[in-house]
Amino acid sequence: MSQKTIWVVDDDPIYQIIVNKIIKKSELFSSVSSFKNGKDAIDALKNALKNSERLPDIILLDINMPIMDGWEFMEEKLLLKPLIKDPVQIYIVSSSIALEDKNKAKNYSEIIAYLSKPINDNDLILIAANH
Amino acid sequence: MEYKNKYPNYIRWFLAKPKTTGFLVFLIMNIGVAFFIKQRVQIIRETEHREMLTTLENLYLNIDQCLKSCYTTTLTLALTINDNGNPEDFDYIASKLLESNSYISTVQLVPNGIIKYIYPLKGNEAALNQNLFTNPNVRKEALKTIANKKMYFAGPLVLKQGGIGIVGRLPVYKKNKFWGFSAVVIKFEDLLKISKVNLIDTNKYYFKFSKINPNTQKEEFFLPLRVKFNEDKQISKIIPDGNWKLYISSKKQENHYSILFLPSILGFILALLSGTFVTILLNRPKQLRELLDIQKQKLRNSEMKFKAVFDQAPLGIALVDDNTGNFLEINNKFCELMGFSEQEMKSKNYLSITHPKDLSISKIFASELREGKNDGYTVKKRYITSANKIIWVNLIVSSLSKNNDVSNTTIAIVEDITLQKQILEDLKKSEKQFKNLFKNSPIPMWEVDLSLIKNYLKDLNLIGKNAYTVENYFNENPDVVLKCFNFVKVIAVNYKCLELLNIKKGQVLVENLEQVLDTDTINGFIKQLIAITQNNMQLAYDTKIKNSDGESIDIHFRWNAIQGYEKTLERMIISTEDITFRKKNEKTIFKSQRKLESLINTIDGIVWECDIKTFAFTFVSKKVEQILGFTSEEWLSNPNFWRDHIYPEDREFVLKYCSEKTNELSNHDFEYRMICKNGAIIWLRDMVTIVYENGLAKNLHGIMIDITNSKKIEDDLNNSFNLVSKQNERLLNFSYIISHNLRSHTSNISSIVALLKASETEQEKEQMMQLLVSVSDLLNETILHLNEVINIRTNVTLTTESLNLKDYVENVMKVFSKQIISKEITINNLVPNDLLIDYNPAYLESILYNMISNAIRYSHPERKTIIDLKLITKKNKKILQISDNGIGIDLVKNGNKIFGMYKTFSNYPDSKGVGLFITKNQIEAMGGTIKVESELNVGTTFKIEII
Repeated sequence: MSQKTIWVVDDDPIYQIIVNKIIKKSELFSSVSSFKNGKDAIDALKNALKNSERLPDIILLDINMPIMDGWEFMEEKLLLKPLIKDPVQIYIVSSSIALEDKNKAKNYSEIIAYLSKPINDNDLILIAANH
Repeated sequence: MEYKNKYPNYIRWFLAKPKTTGFLVFLIMNIGVAFFIKQRVQIIRETEHREMLTTLENLYLNIDQCLKSCYTTTLTLALTINDNGNPEDFDYIASKLLESNSYISTVQLVPNGIIKYIYPLKGNEAALNQNLFTNPNVRKEALKTIANKKMYFAGPLVLKQGGIGIVGRLPVYKKNKFWGFSAVVIKFEDLLKISKVNLIDTNKYYFKFSKINPNTQKEEFFLPLRVKFNEDKQISKIIPDGNWKLYISSKKQENHYSILFLPSILGFILALLSGTFVTILLNRPKQLRELLDIQKQKLRNSEMKFKAVFDQAPLGIALVDDNTGNFLEINNKFCELMGFSEQEMKSKNYLSITHPKDLSISKIFASELREGKNDGYTVKKRYITSANKIIWVNLIVSSLSKNNDVSNTTIAIVEDITLQKQILEDLKKSEKQFKNLFKNSPIPMWEVDLSLIKNYLKDLNLIGKNAYTVENYFNENPDVVLKCFNFVKVIAVNYKCLELLNIKKGQVLVENLEQVLDTDTINGFIKQLIAITQNNMQLAYDTKIKNSDGESIDIHFRWNAIQGYEKTLERMIISTEDITFRKKNEKTIFKSQRKLESLINTIDGIVWECDIKTFAFTFVSKKVEQILGFTSEEWLSNPNFWRDHIYPEDREFVLKYCSEKTNELSNHDFEYRMICKNGAIIWLRDMVTIVYENGLAKNLHGIMIDITNSKKIEDDLNNSFNLVSKQNERLLNFSYIISHNLRSHTSNISSIVALLKASETEQEKEQMMQLLVSVSDLLNETILHLNEVINIRTNVTLTTESLNLKDYVENVMKVFSKQIISKEITINNLVPNDLLIDYNPAYLESILYNMISNAIRYSHPERKTIIDLKLITKKNKKILQISDNGIGIDLVKNGNKIFGMYKTFSNYPDSKGVGLFITKNQIEAMGGTIKVESELNVGTTFKIEII
């Protein structure tokens, strides 16, 4: 269980700090990586594939981000899908409560769920348990 | 043919050849004339000859006389010689002798050839003592005289005493012994004188006197000759006493013939004339003969034609023996008509084929013809054919014999008139039927004669004139109209007519035609007169007529010329149908129509009717004037009115939709725009219904309702709905912005608070508190931003001032002066110097600040930034264009977000995603718009519309 890795993609620095704190406290994941937009995340993903490093088990993805937002990230990630052996579970974590965004999320099979901020220990437990 | 028998062949030959004959006559005549002339010449010649002979004889006789006298003289002289041989009283006797013979010039006695005695001696001395025997000139003659013992005249010779003369010498013998000569000398001219040569017509004859020279034996002539003697025409006589020869010759023999010249010419001319005359004379019969031949040919032709006519005539022709009535010759048609063969017909007589009813009349005509009372006759009669059918024929019979002869053959021409007869019968029947119909017609009818009127109008020269002119004429001349009315001749009226007019007998009406006359009738009558002048054969109109009680009756007047009388108008049929009831009905209908129409006109819409096929409008209610401004007359007068007045943008759709629906025969209801008379555009709702007549779609009925107002309301409603929707959308959008922006902070706060609660160490607590502070600062900032936006949006009372755009740009540029210098940025302020815009100064400053700061912030790291500001005027709108050569924005990805709040597209620490959001709100608050064009790594251009 403790071997799971998790990535957090969000442009809000405060949220990053908070999420990191919560994840570490929960001790559910072996490592946490933070990316401030989709671009950084996808680049890291590509690098990992390239270097045959271990891919994250779970990604917490924000929607509204500069440079590359969550949806763009999803599109990019779809292109990499054939290279990824183990499925990466993606959770949308957004402050948006727009129905439009929630519906859009359903179009991607890799998106396990749409979570509204803030998230807490229980959410993480469920995420970890789901894997 | 006749003359052939009359004349023998050779004469015929002459008669047949007039020219040759003429020529022959001419020749014969000429020969005759020549013969005659020749005879004449002969006679003239003989006469002349005789004349010459006579003359010559006379001459001869005169000379002989003279010579005889000479002989006597010489003898007398010789007697003077005595026996001694000496003359006695010679002078005395000689003188006596000379006295009695004046022509003797000298007497001589020449004893022994010597001239011894001469009387008168004077002048003759030269001859004295001449010895004749020694003179060679006379010796021979002297000797000859002696030899002959006869008196001989010598000479003419040149006398010794001068002149020419003849010397007659008588040998004198004394005692049978030659003594000498007794001689006389006659001057030659005296001889000629005595011979009366001078009396000879010298114009006619020449006279010649010659002597054979005794010495030379040559003939010598003694008279001078001026012309050559014509020896053929001369006669001569020898005078033996002197051995002389007298010649006489016709002098002008040509003269004789000149006399004949004229007769010859005349004879020739006569011959010529005779020849010509004979030719002409003979030509005449020839021409006649030729004419005869032509006539014969014609006759032959006409005979042939006649034969052909006879055989092939469409009429039956027959030659009939008058006495027996038998057919001598009969043609095919006749046989065909009767159905018998020619042979059969020839065995019949005309009576046997005649209908029994027509026998008597046939016989009468035939006997009249036989008796020569007439030359022929024409009769319509019936024959009975071989099939026992009765046929009607028109028989024309004419006698072939001359006036005085007894007729024995007639020619009969037969025409089958059965059909005509039938037609005539039918005609009679139909006439009867017509009469019956007329009489018993349920419509009042008149038969009138208008020919007098027509003639009268013709005299007035009104026929064929322009109808308008004629009408004016009648209106101005009521007396003419009245006169015309008096010319109306009523031939007959039927029962119904009498009933209508409430009179008993037609005669009453004829006598009192004026009773029907009143203003209405006269007007109608004028119509009739005009119709007559226009040569109209038909006329119909509604008018009124008065009956005998003076009651006015509505009638439908109808007027027709009976066929065959169209020109003269002698027979016209007039019907005067009583339409009082119809008129009443019409009035009722008219009233109800009026009611309907007024009802229709009260409908608040254009009620219309049009033909389903042509879309030609037949009715448009008066409301059209209120709605469109056009009158219904204007609409109806133009067949394309409707389509022409549809608003051009709608026309195509309307016409297409209309014809589609009409073709489907479905009622339809649609809306479109039309153009009013004043140019205004109105909305109409057109509700169309298909109208069937006898099961066939005939017309379209419809109502056009003016829906301009409701359309306007609808539009307004739509507009306000759009406005509200937009507003709503903006509000929703704004609420999302608020929710999103606030939520991200509140969620952070709630998370921090949770962490704070669960924090185990002070340090941790402190850390959380720090975070909480920064979140609360951010929240505060966000709220400030939102406030700002709300302020912009809710600020309804924005003050505007007239601002110099260029100056404002310059002012903003000053704010960035530090960066401009450090980053070597070029800003080209290309806005016109004195351009003034009405704008809120704070907004303008804010907008310019944001735009320029963005341009500087997102400048390309590899090149020096250049920013251009310029003003474009497009469709009366001022557009401020701000272009840079910065990094650009991927509009495909971010186009919809660029003006959103908190949308940033870069990781620049100071890009907050608020500037463009606020700028957009400010521009929109001022009523303008903002647009962006951009290309990655090339640059971005913002276009701000300023009102």
